[in-house]
Amino acid sequence: MNTNSNVYTVIYTTVIVVVVAALLAFVSQSLKGKQEANEKADTISQMLTAAQFGTKADFQKIGNTAVLAKYAEEIEQAFTVNIDGEKMQDLPLDRVFSPKELKRQNYNIKGGPNKTGEPELPVFIFKNGTTVVPIYGAGLWGPIWGYIAFEKGSNTIQGAYFDHESETAGLGAKIKDDPAFQAEFIGEKADFDKANVFEIVKGGAPKDASGKSLVDNEIDAITGATMTSQGLDAAIDTWLSSYAKYFQGNVSGEKHCGKCKHEGEKAEECETTKCEEE
Amino acid sequence: MDAKLKETILNPIFKGNPITVLVLGICSSLAVTVTMKGALVMTLSVIVVCGISSLILSLLRNTIPGRVRIIVQLVVVAMMVILVDQVLKSFEATYAIDKQLSVYIGLIITNCIVMGRIEAFALGNKPWPSFLDGVANGAGYGIILIIVAFFRELLGSGTLFGFDILNRFGYIPNNLVILPPFALILLGCIVWVQRSIQKDLQEK
Repeated sequence: MNTNSNVYTVIYTTVIVVVVAALLAFVSQSLKGKQEANEKADTISQMLTAAQFGTKADFQKIGNTAVLAKYAEEIEQAFTVNIDGEKMQDLPLDRVFSPKELKRQNYNIKGGPNKTGEPELPVFIFKNGTTVVPIYGAGLWGPIWGYIAFEKGSNTIQGAYFDHESETAGLGAKIKDDPAFQAEFIGEKADFDKANVFEIVKGGAPKDASGKSLVDNEIDAITGATMTSQGLDAAIDTWLSSYAKYFQGNVSGEKHCGKCKHEGEKAEECETTKCEEE
Repeated sequence: MDAKLKETILNPIFKGNPITVLVLGICSSLAVTVTMKGALVMTLSVIVVCGISSLILSLLRNTIPGRVRIIVQLVVVAMMVILVDQVLKSFEATYAIDKQLSVYIGLIITNCIVMGRIEAFALGNKPWPSFLDGVANGAGYGIILIIVAFFRELLGSGTLFGFDILNRFGYIPNNLVILPPFALILLGCIVWVQRSIQKDLQEK
């Protein structure tokens, strides 16, 4: 047979591409469940790391099942809030937001042609009162995301964990790999009254003569990773300012029930009016 | 085993090593050699992709239209790379390492060793020798990767496979070793050693 004829060439390439595509589609579908389970466990371990229940390496060691069990043990409530800080709906306690879902919400926050609806911002509250919220944004080469944990009813940051898709190893990748960078967040405060809720700047916060930090919402950026640091700064500002109303209510105890919650009271019963009465 | 087949297997490991002699696959060997684990997973992935793509294309070699043979090779190699990536993502043990290697697993497709061996060997030889040639070239690549990763993880993190080796003796990890330029220095040293053993590689 003449393998160089046009007809043969077209048929041959068509057949081989269709066969390969079908095979890949089949494999992708059959492995999807397992991949999603891995991704979910990874996301949960990031949230647990941000909330200071352990280090990411610890969670990697104990495995998926133990991570899910730990999360089920510690989580108290999960719900979404809108941009005005009002609660939208309760989430099942094993529900987490994958980076893909965070991306969608990121579009909703920022507006533009990719906006699909009003932002639904997830809030995760652990039994010890720690509140964890996600952030999402653009790094230098690809998306970056992460979780910031706040102390009970306060704007003090308890911990943070960040992840990325393809930041430069050894430089931008430090947002994920360098525990010292993540540790810088601990004890800082998010300033929800300002547009720049949190700042990652060269040199960190200005200090007085004794070396005490004068500003409590600034940390030092990563040397050699200016674009990633700026991207992270922008991601944190965008997301935390979307949560500002929720946290302002939460922190001052006026709007949200975080402060005036009674023992055993269900989330639905905890209305604005009830808080105001007290 | 006849001599020719033996040569097919042994040549890429040392005498005709794809990295140190043919200088292929340099990019990924600088990128994924920070840890032994990463290097090992990368090595296995390249062996699988290289071996099986060579096998498939050698089976098809008499039917492939000459004018589109590179495209057909590309389709088969891409399929293998995606399969490997999907499988790595599915297992709990390899999920984290796949995330760490991120784009480099996908970039195996651009690794010149794979397409180079298919074009140079698999299209002109029977399936079994082609498969062995692919595996051996993957292994030759992997050996260098593992040697480089051994030094980089030991000196850069003080560990091997994540287990503490040097840090317990008060070793302070050298950050320079973690950065890609040091991998290039190490590669240079390996080429140096090989050339002083194998005199016929030296230019007059």
